[in-house]
Amino acid sequence: MNISTLVAISLTLGISTGASANWSKIQSEAKGQTVYFNAWGGSEVTNAYIIWAAKEVKTRYGVDVRHVKVSSTAEVVKRVQTEMAAGRDSNGSVDLLWLNGEHFQNLKNGGLLFGPWAQSLPNWGLVDLNKPVRSDFSIPTEGYESPWGTAQLTFIADRAQTPKPPRSTADFLAFAKANPGRVSYPKLPDFHGTTFIKQMLMELTSNPAVLQQPVTPAAFASATKPLWSYLDQLHPMLWRDGKTFPASAAEMHRMLGDGELKLSLTFNPNEAANLIATRQLPPSAYSFGFAGGTIGNVHFVAIPVNARAKAGAQVFANFLLSAEAQIRKADISVWGDGTVLDIKQLPTTSKMRLLKTAPGALTEAVPTLPEPHASWVEALEAEWLKRYGAS
Amino acid sequence: MLLHGVKLGWRPWLAGLPVLLIFGPLLPGLYWALIPAVDAAVWQALWRDGQWPQALRATLISAVLGTVLACGLATLLATLHYPGRLWWTLQRRLPLLLSLPHAAFAVGLFFLLAPSGWLARALAQGLGWTSPPEWITVQDPYGLSLALALAVKESWFLLWVLASVLGEQAVSRQMAVARSMGYSRFQTWQLILWPLLLPRLVWPMVAVFAYGLSVVDMAIILGPGTPPTLAVLIWHWLTDPDPALQARGSAASLVLLLVLGGGALMLRGLWWLRQRYRPYPTGQRKPAAAWRWLKLHIPLVLTGYAVVAVLLLWSLAQSWFFPALWPQALSLQSWQQANWAPFWTTLWLGMAASLLCLPAVLIWLEWGPQRLNTLLYLPLIVPALPLVAGQYAVLLPLRLDGSAVALVWSHLLWVLPYMVMMLIGPYRAFDGRLMTCAQALGCSPWGACLRVKWPILLRPILAALAVGFAVSVAQYLPTLFVGGGRFVTVTTEAVALSAGGNRRVLAVQALLQIALPLAVFGLAALLSYWFGRHRKGLR
Repeated sequence: MNISTLVAISLTLGISTGASANWSKIQSEAKGQTVYFNAWGGSEVTNAYIIWAAKEVKTRYGVDVRHVKVSSTAEVVKRVQTEMAAGRDSNGSVDLLWLNGEHFQNLKNGGLLFGPWAQSLPNWGLVDLNKPVRSDFSIPTEGYESPWGTAQLTFIADRAQTPKPPRSTADFLAFAKANPGRVSYPKLPDFHGTTFIKQMLMELTSNPAVLQQPVTPAAFASATKPLWSYLDQLHPMLWRDGKTFPASAAEMHRMLGDGELKLSLTFNPNEAANLIATRQLPPSAYSFGFAGGTIGNVHFVAIPVNARAKAGAQVFANFLLSAEAQIRKADISVWGDGTVLDIKQLPTTSKMRLLKTAPGALTEAVPTLPEPHASWVEALEAEWLKRYGAS
Repeated sequence: MLLHGVKLGWRPWLAGLPVLLIFGPLLPGLYWALIPAVDAAVWQALWRDGQWPQALRATLISAVLGTVLACGLATLLATLHYPGRLWWTLQRRLPLLLSLPHAAFAVGLFFLLAPSGWLARALAQGLGWTSPPEWITVQDPYGLSLALALAVKESWFLLWVLASVLGEQAVSRQMAVARSMGYSRFQTWQLILWPLLLPRLVWPMVAVFAYGLSVVDMAIILGPGTPPTLAVLIWHWLTDPDPALQARGSAASLVLLLVLGGGALMLRGLWWLRQRYRPYPTGQRKPAAAWRWLKLHIPLVLTGYAVVAVLLLWSLAQSWFFPALWPQALSLQSWQQANWAPFWTTLWLGMAASLLCLPAVLIWLEWGPQRLNTLLYLPLIVPALPLVAGQYAVLLPLRLDGSAVALVWSHLLWVLPYMVMMLIGPYRAFDGRLMTCAQALGCSPWGACLRVKWPILLRPILAALAVGFAVSVAQYLPTLFVGGGRFVTVTTEAVALSAGGNRRVLAVQALLQIALPLAVFGLAALLSYWFGRHRKGLR
């Protein structure tokens, strides 16, 4: 053993003991703190999972987590912005928020995020770095947000009505023509709706690579041209002639269950199974993807720069990354949200839980397409609203 | 008045203090909230916005049509049935219908009217439909379904106002005279009663119109989505991260105020025209029109019952897909798994707001400058959106947003005027000689109130408390804005769930929203009976 190795080992040890000392300081600071976790509250399984996680960190670390249910993450971004603009740079009302993509970009560029902290969480070592956990819609996360789960755009249909689903954007148009008034998608800026439009754009545009770069007016005009002509063809075939759109994916699930629509969509490949279990969809519902793949991404949690309970927020985020919390989250009978952890590192018994499936869940392998750069989102939403926001 | 006029001194100030605390901070708040609108560029942007013309159209149609229909229904019912057995039956049904909160009513109406709703399911049985019809019965682009909901809901309110106005005025004598002279019921109302009663009804009608203009919770559930009504659009804009859109929201809330002003002016103009070209009794007796076959009250009351019934059924349903008329199975599962946190939050919030308001209302009515009562009613006739934005703008620099204290305070702005409105009639009707007696026997003004006046007025006081509680339960905008999402009430939860998702959970929350005011009204009735059990006049 040469000296340099020894130095390296001692250095590593020194750093790690330093880090753990630091972490125990954060943990003791966190005790007794109240963490206001601002997270989209539109899914019962998610809400129930957050209740469970809050209960666990309360008993284990003495951190009181309150779920502030929001209908859109944009509201939380606005709240942080308003508070900072009013000079409230500490004691903010948001301690932790659930986000990704353009909201992360807005907050990070505005200097509104606390950090970097995510990569010094003890459980960061469990994370699968092959997943896009260090870049969010092509924006480097740089430790300003901690990964929570993975998602992939998935479609839902009812086998009793739709034995053969559309498998591509072109197919989708043909399907809409064959089923006039029975197809739709959520109104933008609902994030399911935006993702659907991004999916269509990726398949229709001639050079998808340009979508990975920050948007420019020229690139936007040329890349989205085929999208608008496609939508102009599609919309007259949609539910209520494409003059109005469902408010959310959840509303589309309801309409699918009643047969008012023939297709619905979700970001969770296991959601259809949950909906069957809670009798919101008939047992004949099933999930499917497009042959060329669908958009997938990672969702994160972040701490605003003016948060009051930063230590408590980190402790909660670290718990969300623990093997126990991640496996429970991925369990199809709990939530069914994909894990961000490296499965190879997990104990074998828990792997069985990850492989569990239920009727309705996505069973086929669907390739994952990367999200376009975050700057495309606002441009797409603004242009869509301008064209179709008022009939 | 003269009797304790000498001693009054500081008392009007004391009476004014709570009112000042509730209303005062609004002035700077409104200034901060609306100042971004003072910019020509903002108005140009609003003018060019693609959504706003249609949003304004939907708002105008739903508010105007809703108000006109509600007034029409209420006046027609009074003309046809007052006085009469039917009118009294209707009166007895009103408290139940009135305690139906707007959001819950909208949810129930959605379950009835939607293309996959009960009505369509009933038709599907006969017509053999297997999938829902392509109806546009809810969330229609013109806001007609919203107008219908407002019409039904507000007609109950107007009927209730009418009943109390009719109770105060000695109308029956005039009616008896007119009828003995051979005028038909219809003519009596047209020539004598409406000119007498309408001035009293102007403000309630304006309140109904203002409510229709700025309603957000019902509009989210029943109104159009692409674009939404102006109130919902303003709400989106005011909560947008982009400052330009926030300014657009401020400008658009000024538009709502202008529309309200225009509406009030038009009403005034109509009244003036009517006074000018008042139909002079020609002496011609018209035979009583046989309008009585028009059983308007039946659909009006039935809608209320059907709404509660369909909510109950959904809260108990297992699998229930179109076109089934009845759920496959019933279970208590949704109730067992129900989230009760919003219920408890609503309960303490409503109790805190109404109990805090009660002393403020009592001392205001006793010693406050009564000339300013009109001012107190402003929150009822001004669209809620700018007011809530003003409240939020005040709380933000004080760092009180999202706190329980601020939330209770924000509710008081609406709870107080309703409680004053409930109590002012009985308070004015109180026999002042009793107070003179009490003071002559040595009571201080304070002691006389405490020992004589307020115990005698216990019944209306309890009723006012119950109304205050119900008003707090129904608040949607202040709870969201000021509470910062940290306080989830049955109302915010019902509206959030209505955006889709599980109808069973939604039905449970909507029923809880109905149950709370109903229970408090029941409790108030029970308490006033119990307190008055040995006192004949108080029963």
